Amino acid sequence: MIETKQLKKVFKSADIETVALAGIDLKVEEGEFVSVMGPSGCGKTTLLNLLGMIDVATSGDYFFMGKDVCSLREKQRTHLRKENIGFVFQNFNLIEELSIWENIELPLIYQGVKKSERKRLIMDVIDRLEITHRKDLLPVQLSGGQQQRVAVARAIITRPHLLLADEPTGNLDSMHGEEVMNILDELNKAGMTIVMVTHSHHDASYSRRIVHLFDGQIINENLNRI
Amino acid sequence: MWGSFFRMGFRVLMRQKKFFLLNLAGLTIGIVAFVFIYLYVENALYYDRSWKNYQHIYRVNETYSTGGKAEKMALTPYLLAGKLKDNFPGIIESTRLFFTDPSDKNDVSSVDYGGKMYDIPNLTIGDTRVFKIFNYHFTEGNPDSCLVHPNSMVLSLAMKKTIFGNKPALGKKLKTSIRTYTVTGVFDKTNRPSHLEFDAIISTNSLDKHEQQQLYTNWFWMNCYTYVELADSVNVKKFVQRVNYFADTAIGHYIQKQKIKISGYAHLNFQPIQKIHFSKGLLYDSHSNINITYLYIFVTVALFILLMASINYINFATARSLKRVRETGVRKVMGAFQKQLMLQYISEALIITFTAFILSLSLVELLMPAFNSLVNRHITLVDSLFSGSGLVFGFLLIMFMLLLALFSGSFPAFVLSSLKPVEVLGGRGLILRSNKKHVFTTVRLRKFLVVVQYLVAIGVIISTLIIAAQVHYVKNRPLGFDKKDVVVINSPADTSFRSRAANFIMALKTDTNIEQVTTASSLPGYLTEKILVRSGDSAVGHLQTLDGFFVGYHYFDLLKIPLVKGKYFSAVKPNDSVEPFIVNEAAIRFLGLKHPLGSFLYTPYAKKGRIIGVVKNFNFSSLHQKVEPLIFVLRPQFIQYVVVRINPHKKKEALAHIRNVWKKYNKGYTMYYTFLDQKLDTLYRSDQKMLSLFFYFSLFVILISALGLFGLSSFLIEQRSKEISIRKVLGGSEKQIVLMLVKEYLVLVLIAGALISPVVYYFIGKWLNSFAYHIHLNLCYFVAGILLVLLIAFFTVLLQALFMVRKRPVDALKYE
Repeated sequence: MIETKQLKKVFKSADIETVALAGIDLKVEEGEFVSVMGPSGCGKTTLLNLLGMIDVATSGDYFFMGKDVCSLREKQRTHLRKENIGFVFQNFNLIEELSIWENIELPLIYQGVKKSERKRLIMDVIDRLEITHRKDLLPVQLSGGQQQRVAVARAIITRPHLLLADEPTGNLDSMHGEEVMNILDELNKAGMTIVMVTHSHHDASYSRRIVHLFDGQIINENLNRI
Repeated sequence: MWGSFFRMGFRVLMRQKKFFLLNLAGLTIGIVAFVFIYLYVENALYYDRSWKNYQHIYRVNETYSTGGKAEKMALTPYLLAGKLKDNFPGIIESTRLFFTDPSDKNDVSSVDYGGKMYDIPNLTIGDTRVFKIFNYHFTEGNPDSCLVHPNSMVLSLAMKKTIFGNKPALGKKLKTSIRTYTVTGVFDKTNRPSHLEFDAIISTNSLDKHEQQQLYTNWFWMNCYTYVELADSVNVKKFVQRVNYFADTAIGHYIQKQKIKISGYAHLNFQPIQKIHFSKGLLYDSHSNINITYLYIFVTVALFILLMASINYINFATARSLKRVRETGVRKVMGAFQKQLMLQYISEALIITFTAFILSLSLVELLMPAFNSLVNRHITLVDSLFSGSGLVFGFLLIMFMLLLALFSGSFPAFVLSSLKPVEVLGGRGLILRSNKKHVFTTVRLRKFLVVVQYLVAIGVIISTLIIAAQVHYVKNRPLGFDKKDVVVINSPADTSFRSRAANFIMALKTDTNIEQVTTASSLPGYLTEKILVRSGDSAVGHLQTLDGFFVGYHYFDLLKIPLVKGKYFSAVKPNDSVEPFIVNEAAIRFLGLKHPLGSFLYTPYAKKGRIIGVVKNFNFSSLHQKVEPLIFVLRPQFIQYVVVRINPHKKKEALAHIRNVWKKYNKGYTMYYTFLDQKLDTLYRSDQKMLSLFFYFSLFVILISALGLFGLSSFLIEQRSKEISIRKVLGGSEKQIVLMLVKEYLVLVLIAGALISPVVYYFIGKWLNSFAYHIHLNLCYFVAGILLVLLIAFFTVLLQALFMVRKRPVDALKYE
């Protein structure tokens, strides 16, 4: 599903060049659950942003479902992302002015899904994630764990092929963290491909493969739970 | 310490160039508009206040009626000034000036000096007492004696410079076609804004003996402006009563003596001289008069513009400051006191306000010539700012700038410096949350301020559209005659022309491009005569006043004025005993004639006369007025104007022919002519001026409000950068997100439009009612005005929204 070749990202500010990713070769197969680990500043989030097409690489190749992402135009990338990728962030990134329901509904509106269909899909997912009774509240009225569950619901509402999670439990206590990891595990078992950035070995233990980054390079990969 | 504050402030501003320039531009535009309006209003209020004793100087106006409606006019008979001075000791001085019509070039007199002809645009007749009341400074000659002798002429300094350059003028001879005048004085009009517009004045006793005789006896010949200076002790109200009693008696005697049958009344009013500039509704009043309502409107607009500029400034400054929470936190941790933080912000504000102040005064100076020609004034910034009230104004302006700086600087200082350092430094998310309530309320306040700005902007723009439509309407409405392709030539101000006139007209007709020629004493758009008429076939009955035109043959065919009944003058044979009259429909109604054709009329000007024709009503004065009763008297020998209809396709050739003929018959005279439609346009000069002023107001207001919206939306949209990124990551297209952002602001504009429309409807409706003929207010103007503003607002916000949406989402999200 994902293949990168010598993917590089360099940040430039004034006279200083910072190499965030120094040539990444990575393959992720359909249905895999991959964790990306490494110390702060090693380029984990940058890699995730490139994979999620919300940022563009400085050089190298990136193939997503057989398409050469680097050669696509902004509009085409947006389209590809919209159809296939869901995001979960460490700090949830819910829109504070919108209710839980409206937050989850947003990607469907952007995909042009009809209202009745939207209702059915949302009911289905909030039921599964046990947040039905809170659908009319605003994000600030929920606990961290509940907010992250909403974020996950929003990420999977369009049934993406790939879910990208950036430290999904980073702002949660262990109990709520566990809940979120269980949800991700279930989604993976149901066939969804997941790439997750994490600091936590415990969270990484849910994945099938762990990629270790250091100074913008992959230093080793190991398989889990085989 | 101030030094370091300013140094720091300067660096901060240089780093935020966009913000600095926006803020500077908004404030500068606001101050420029404000200063211009101030200068105009100040100049208008200073009119006729430069005379010594101006509080005691009055112009005598007259209200009279001879049946029908009362007429008010600024003119009085010549003899009035002398009679008043002789009979009332309360009058210290009295004088009169002859009426001249500056809008008609016929009153331009040509004088010959050293073989060259010079035009004197505004020449009047008066006596020595003129300069006793109007104490002009004389650069040459003696004001007390300059108009004592016949054939004396006193020139304005500007006129003198045109003719004589820098050489002295005193004693020099100026020749007209009939007389030679001696220059006996030169007066300076600089810094004397006044309703008096004359450039030259000749002594009354230059007139011929017969005319002078008439002047001293005739109470009904209204041809002069009369001015009096009253003693301090006079109670004006009681005094006017006594004067009127005196005048009634005198006029009564005159009527008896002359055996005139007339009924009605005349009333003299004393108008304080400083109020003349704002007077309206008087016939033959000064052309430079302005409507005081306009002044009120200007002052209101000026204050609004300044208010808007200030709102924007504060909006910008405070919005910007929220970006500096971290800097403020660091400063506090480093031990800065609240006062020091405030001083830092205030010094930055001072840099902007004072740069704007200096920039705007320079701009005002730069644009002054253009402004002067727009408002037809001679205002200079230096004179206005360094005179008494100007100094106060300058001081107030500086105080205002200081206050603005103080307020806009202290607001962010208070808010930001009251935050605890730990909150400020704890991370961005924390600040927004702990500050959430504060951010929310200022956002609402800001939106409210934007609505206020758009109220003004939409109001001014709708008004401008309606004024433009009305001006277009009055210039293009069918008037009931054909005003196109008619050349009106002023005949030379010289009695000898009469003998040449017939040949001149014959010669004109020889060219095929000349379609028709006639003569007249008046035309539509020109001043009319007032004619006293008595209807009925006997000498009993009372005189009534009608507007009157003395015209030549073919007047009606030339102007294409349709006949309702009877015939034109050209179809009747001369009859020595009965004079033919033609009247308009309004006159029939006014005189109450059931069978007008053949009815007899008497006028003091003519023998017994009979109505031979009735013409359809046509608009012969401005569309501010309804069509008044009008009578035409056949007088081919009264040639004030030679009227020529030319071939519309051969205008150049026709004019060339007219010029050639003029040269042949009127050697040495300049030919003054105008196209009738152009002359009619001058009736709406003040409306046109109002339109151009409103047009500029609109520009200023649009600019300032667009700047304001630009600043506000850039701030608010930037605040939402994270939300925008999330929406993008979730699949929102650029179009969807931009629309969402822009929609909010458009709603604000719509609210403002809905609120201001009824107000505009009320006030502009009042203005339209000052025209007897006007457009009908309909929804289109309001919709168009709101749409225009909507469009401007749309593009203003679009710019910001696109800029933000085009950013990669990762830029906003990576800080999290």
